This record gives sequence, C-alpha cells and structure tokens, in this order.
Amino acid sequence: MDWLNLLVYPAVRVLVLFFVLLTGFAYLTWYERKLLARFQVRYGPNRAGRFGLLQPLADAIKALFKEEIVPDHVDRPVYLLAPALAIVPALIIWAVIPVAKDFPAVADVPIGILWILAVAGIEGYGVILAGWSSNNNYSLLGALRSSAQMISYELPLGIFLVSILVLAGTFSLVELVEMSRPWWEWLWLWLVFPLFFICILAETNRSPFDLPETENELVAGFQTEYGGMKFALFFMAEYINMITTSAIMATLFFGGWKGPFADQYVWLGPVYLFIKVVALLFLFIWVRASVSRPRWDQLMRFSWQFLLPVSLMHLMGSAVFTVFLK
Amino acid sequence: MPLDVSPKFRPYEVLPSLNVPGIPAVAPLPTGETQDTRRIQERFGDDVLAAGLHVGAQVVYIRPTRLVDLARFLRTDPRLRYETLVDVTGVDRLELPVPEGEARFHGVYQFRSYSRRQHLTVVAPAEGGDRPRLPSLTSVYPGANWPERECHDLMGILFEGHPDLRRILMPEHWPNHPLQKQIPRGGEEVPFTLTWEDPEFETLGKQILPAESVPPKVPPGMDSRRHLIINMGPHHPSTHGVLRLVVELDGEDIVRVDPDLGYLHSGFEKTAESVRYKDFVYYTDRMDYLSGMTNNFGYVLAVERLLGLEVPQRAQVIRVIMAELQRLAAHLFWLSTHVLDVSGTGMSLLMYATRDRERILDLFEMACGARLTVGYFRIGGVSHDLPPAFRDNLELFLQVMPQKIDDYERMLTLGPVWEERLQGIGVITREEALDMGLTGPMLRGSGVDWDLRRDMPYSGYENYDFQVPVETAGDCYARYRVRMEEMRQSLRILRQALDNLPDGPYLADDRKVTPPPRAELDLSMEALIHHFKLMTEGFHVPPGFTYQAIESNKGELGFFVYSDGSARPYRLHIRGPSFNNLYAIDHMSRGHMIADVITNIGSIDIVLGEVDR
Repeated sequence: MDWLNLLVYPAVRVLVLFFVLLTGFAYLTWYERKLLARFQVRYGPNRAGRFGLLQPLADAIKALFKEEIVPDHVDRPVYLLAPALAIVPALIIWAVIPVAKDFPAVADVPIGILWILAVAGIEGYGVILAGWSSNNNYSLLGALRSSAQMISYELPLGIFLVSILVLAGTFSLVELVEMSRPWWEWLWLWLVFPLFFICILAETNRSPFDLPETENELVAGFQTEYGGMKFALFFMAEYINMITTSAIMATLFFGGWKGPFADQYVWLGPVYLFIKVVALLFLFIWVRASVSRPRWDQLMRFSWQFLLPVSLMHLMGSAVFTVFLK
Repeated sequence: MPLDVSPKFRPYEVLPSLNVPGIPAVAPLPTGETQDTRRIQERFGDDVLAAGLHVGAQVVYIRPTRLVDLARFLRTDPRLRYETLVDVTGVDRLELPVPEGEARFHGVYQFRSYSRRQHLTVVAPAEGGDRPRLPSLTSVYPGANWPERECHDLMGILFEGHPDLRRILMPEHWPNHPLQKQIPRGGEEVPFTLTWEDPEFETLGKQILPAESVPPKVPPGMDSRRHLIINMGPHHPSTHGVLRLVVELDGEDIVRVDPDLGYLHSGFEKTAESVRYKDFVYYTDRMDYLSGMTNNFGYVLAVERLLGLEVPQRAQVIRVIMAELQRLAAHLFWLSTHVLDVSGTGMSLLMYATRDRERILDLFEMACGARLTVGYFRIGGVSHDLPPAFRDNLELFLQVMPQKIDDYERMLTLGPVWEERLQGIGVITREEALDMGLTGPMLRGSGVDWDLRRDMPYSGYENYDFQVPVETAGDCYARYRVRMEEMRQSLRILRQALDNLPDGPYLADDRKVTPPPRAELDLSMEALIHHFKLMTEGFHVPPGFTYQAIESNKGELGFFVYSDGSARPYRLHIRGPSFNNLYAIDHMSRGHMIADVITNIGSIDIVLGEVDR
C-alpha cells in the first residue's frame, strides 16, 4: 500500500489545502475590505449576499469573464509565465506548515525552514519578470524596486529565521512547534517579532511596503499591463502570501496549532491555527489602514542600516543563549 | 502625422447690436497721479504714454521698447520694489473704435510690491499691428514664462527673447490664436465633430473608428537616449486630473519635468466675451471646481469694482462666511489627497476629511441648493438669504471642527514617516518664490508675509482679527504647516463673521444692476421693466478695465475685466493660482526622486480646471 501513502494521501491533502487556501484568499479580500471600511468610516461591501459575503464570488466571476488582453509590445512567454510564477510559491510554501499535532499540511520534511527560505526566494521572480516583460516604463521601475526591496528584506528575514533555528536546534517545523520552549526563549522571540513582521510586510509587498505597485507614483507598478484573470493571479498571490506568512509567523512565534486541549483533540489544532492566522491578518490590515508609506530610499536605508544589524545582533544573542542556557 | 484641423469657417451671422451709440468704447486713459507713477514718469519721460489712476488702480502706459527697462526699474528701484510680476495678459482691440495709428494689441502686466503693499498695472501697446510683438520680461521676472506663453498661445502676441515660446494650452498644431477677436467662437470644425452628412455616420456604433496613435514629441532639451523618460498622465492617479508631466529620469532621480497642460482647456475667457456679466458667474464655478464660492467671489468683486457698486453689509459678511467655508473645504480636500498621494495609506484620512467636507457642502446646499458648482454669488450680493437653520448648523460645525483639525494633524505628525517624506522636499527660497510669481501658501511657505485678505482687504476682511501663518523653510512641510494653520484661522474668521452677521438686505438695491425682489414685480410696473431689461439685455458696465485679486485657497485668484461699455465683458482674463504655481514643479522636483514629484504636485495644490481654464 506504499503508493497510497506516496501519492493518494498527499494528493488529497494538496487538494484540500488548495481548496482551503483559495477560499481563504477569497474571504480574505472580503475581510480586508470590511475591516478597511470600518477603519475608514465606510460600510464596505454589503450588496452581494448578507454582509456582502457573496462579494468574493462576484469578483471571481467578473475576473474570469473579463477579456484576456495581451498587449502587442510584451514579451509574450515571459509575460504569461510571470503570474504563475507569482502564485505557485505562495501555495507550495504551505507544504511544511504543521496544522495539527503530528500533522504537517503535506509533508514533514526535515528541512522545513530551508524550504521556506528557498521558496520565498523564488517569489520575487514573478514580480520581476512581470515588470520586465511588460515593456513599460512604470512596470520596469516597479520591478526594479521590487527586486531591490526583496533582496534587501530577505537578508534580515533569513537571519531572523536562522536565529530561531539556532534556538530550536531543528529544521523541521513540526518538531519546532511540538518542542517545549523555556519562557525566556519566548520573550527573546517576541522581542523581535515586530521587526520580523516588518520584514514580512516588505516580503509580501504589503502596504506600507507596496512600493513595487505604488499606485500614486507608478500607476500599478509591475501589474500595469495585466488585466483580467492574469491580474487576479497576482492579486491572489499577494493575498495567499499574506495567509501563508501569517501561518509561518504563527508557527514560529506563537506555537502554531498549539492551544489548550489541542494535544488531546487533534481537530482543535487547525482551529487554533486559524484563529492565530486571522489575528495576524488583522495586523496586516490594521497597518495598511494607518501607517504611511516611506519613500523608496528611506525603505532601503531602514533595511540596511537598522534591520540588518539588529538581526545580526539577535542571531548572536540566540547563539550565546543556546550555548549557555540550553 | 498631425491631425488636420484647419478651420472651416461657417458663415457667422452677427446679431444686430443692441448697443446704444457710443458703445463700444475704448477704456479711458488714467487720470491724476500717485507717488509711484510720478516716479516712473520722472524716469521715463516721454516714453510713458499715460500714467495715473484708473478705476482706483495705478496704471502706466509705456512704450514697448522701454518695457524691459521699466520692469527692471520697478524691480530694483529701492523706492518702488515691485518684487513680483503677478500676471501677463493681452487685449485685442479690433472691435473697439481705436484711433487711427494706435496699436491693435495691448499687453497688460500686473506688478505687485509685497513690501509696500502696492499694485501697479502696466499697459504696453504691441508693435507690429496684426502680428503683435512685445519684449519678454522673463529676463527680469522668470515667472513671466508661463503667463507669456499663455498669452502667446491664446492671443498671438510674440514675446521676443522668451526662452521657450511654445504653445501651452492649445494643441501644438492648432491653426489660430483663439482669443483674437476675428476668430469666432465655435467657428472651427474639431476633428471629432460628426455631422449628419458625414459618411462615417452610417456606420457609427457598428465599427471601431480607426484612431491614429500619435506618439507625443519629447520636449526640447530632453535626452531620451541617456535617460528614461516617462509620461505621467494625462491619465495618472496622482496628477489630480488630466495633467501630463513628461519626466526625465536618471534611475529614479529627476533630471527635468516638463508639464503639458491644456487637456482641460475649455475656453472660459473666450466664452466670457459672449455672455452677459451676470451669466458668467456660473462659469467660474467650473474653473476651480473645488472652490466654486471663491471663484464667484473674485469675479463679482471685479465687476462690482468696475460698476462702483456698493454691496450691503450683510451680503459682505455672507460672502466672507462662504469664502472661508470654501477655503476649509478645499484645504480639507487638499490635505486628504495630499496624504493619499504621499503615503498611499492615507485612505483613512481621506475618508475622515471628506466626512467633514461633506458637512461644509451640506451648509452650501442649505444656502443655495448646490454643493459643488454653487453659483451663489450675484453681482451686488448673493442669490438667497441664509436660511434660519444655517446659523445653528454652522455653529455646530464650528464647535466640532477645531478638534478634528488637531486630530488630523496628530495622525500625521505623530508618525515618523510624514515629516521624513516632506521635509527638505521641493524647497523654494524666498527669492525664488518672488521670481516665479508664486502666490498663496506657496509664497507664505517660503517666508513672504503676504495675504491679500489682510494686506489688500476686500469685502470687509479688514474687520476680522486673524493671523497669517508664515513659514520660512520653503519645503513641502512648511506649506503643509501653513495650510493647516490657515484652516484654524478660517475657523476664527468664521466665528467672528457668525457673531457679527448684520441684518439687512442681501443684495444691493441698485435696480440698474440687481433684479428687484419677486414680490415687487406684482406691484410695480417700474420693477417689471427693470426686471425685463436685466433679464434680456443685462446691465451695462462703464468702459474701463480692472484687475481684482482675492486670496483663494490656492493663492491669488485674479480677474482682469476689460469693459467696452456694453453688457458683456469685452475681454476677461483669469489669473488662476494653480496655473502660476504649477510653474514651480520643474524647479521643485529636480534632483529629487520620482516619489517626490507626487509630493510636490500635492504640495502645490492644483486643480486642473483652473490650470487649463
């Protein structure tokens, strides 16, 4: 029955995961619009369905039935490949995240954290290729910004990850969640959580770090030449990335699926994870509604002059703690 | 390939004139003298054709050959110190009974001394008859650049020595200069006009018309090989309308910005020549569509000045209330869009500020029934009296608003990013601001202590106690501070105006100018006749010209009206503050990054309806 374990179960898990993520994406847009509206003394979507709950469905139908326009002046293969490249990493990063006790989303690979770093590295390509292939000045500027920004923020992000890794002593996310950590380790982690969150914001191109697509300077940045479903794919990538990174942060900093009685009742694991993810998503949206966007050189300066040294110091601290306290 | 828009003149029937003999008439020459005109006359002797006072303003007629000398003298002479050239325009006197041998075109210049609180109008007859020429003043006042370009574009006056005499509002290939009197209004066939005889009409709606895509020319002086040139607009989220900025970029650094205007040019000045004085009030609403009241204000003041009309006290205070409310509304909208442009996440602030702006618009709706294009002012007063509930609502508004302004300021200044984004960006020194002829918050942000409301008061502004905020840094942050403080001062003025709102008529009772009240029509035959005459013919304005400026929320809004004695303006020129302030965008943006262009546009606070007029 080996093939069952090898193919069928993972396939089923993948399908379930896709379903959950895509539905999650759809309702994340609803959640964001509702929340933003509340922040901005508006109502938000309230026409399609009760509380506007069918709005995501309406949006999906609209995006699907839009005319597929490929401008003449684009580099066609790359132009078509880019949206796919953007969305695939956002989905596959989920494979290693544990959703319940002894239950990773797809597979418990021993190099879970490395997998996250590697896939996050690919994410930039979608944006960069989209901007490059569009053959448009705005897209090009957006893509250049995005590549610089992603490289700059991946460094401190990676170093923070390494720091966590040093503390945990394992690459596997499943083990990371299940191991018991002393109280000082939690504190030490939470100390840098805000900075980690900033890196994540930059990594997912979320406001206030949405410089690659700043609508008020670059029209729509790298997505200027995209429309219909291709645009929707970028949109999906961004939102699924938000979910994914929230799950990663929940896993690394807040114990993932853990919670009262989650050990006894396995089904509670996903529920706790869901709650933590939603809370983190709220943070994303809150930031979007209230924090101004820095200029692009200020963004870079912040990364290189502040985040990078701090992350290195944190790494050193972790190493010292690990050696002397563990 | 340029589109062929060569004019096809339709037979143009001119209505038999209603005018009595003696109309049209040339504006009379100035009489008397003042200190300044005497000094100019002493210096220039016979080259001064006439000098003195005209409709309460100092006017000097100068021979065009000495114009540049005069300008230099005005600017440098320690006893004159006219630091800035506010406006340049022209008058085509083709339809006036001009004496034989006199020039057809007149160039009209408005000089302003901020330190001495003086205004001087200089008129220079243009040489060259139907192909007029005048020397350019750009060497003395660099800010003459755009006004002269506009005058060249619309009036056809060739400014000799101008560094960049391109068209500015009309398309490059436009066949004529539309403000010349022989050019009929609506006479030209525009390429998008379809007549019933057109063969294309058969298939209209059944095909996609082939549209030639013409790549726009790169402005002279830009290097498209070494640098990246991007086209911001005319459809761009942050240009506040259909403004096109050609931006030359080295990486993300700005090398040069060349604004391309005129996408919203709607020929207000030409239109004004064919509507009666009282009807043009509604056109002014559409100019700066965010401050309709203010535009009304400037226009009616100019005409009232020509008429020598006394406006009742109550009307004056109502006008001040409306103008200050409008300033608040426009500043709130400026704030919210500026924040949106700069930080992207200002959507929240946009919504909050818009909510408060709604309250102001509600007040407008109470007073006149309209919210945006108000048309509330009349020559001689305002159209309706304030309704009783207006007072209570304004009272409520005045109680709420100060807290709101503080809140918005805290929302921005407590965050680290806002100051970082604005400080040191778009710096204009005091000298540069005077050179470029900037006005309003742009001027006050650069350390020039000048506000028309205080320094050349109109409509009873001298009775209010308020301060004029001035900042010296000259960057975007200084202008932001100035505008925020102006909102508070507006509230102060509103409070005083509301407390001292007198009773009495809201419209002058000069029956030759303002229509009688409705009730009077039922009783008085004379009132009926007045009403009939006013509604059909309109009132006549004595020949002459005047330049009336008011402090609009964006800067100095000036109306130059030239009357030939008939019921329509012979020439009406609007000096839009957005237009002259936008000239600074190139200077402000050079060397900064592309994100700063957006900051600068927001900081200049333009409305394209007024830039293009």
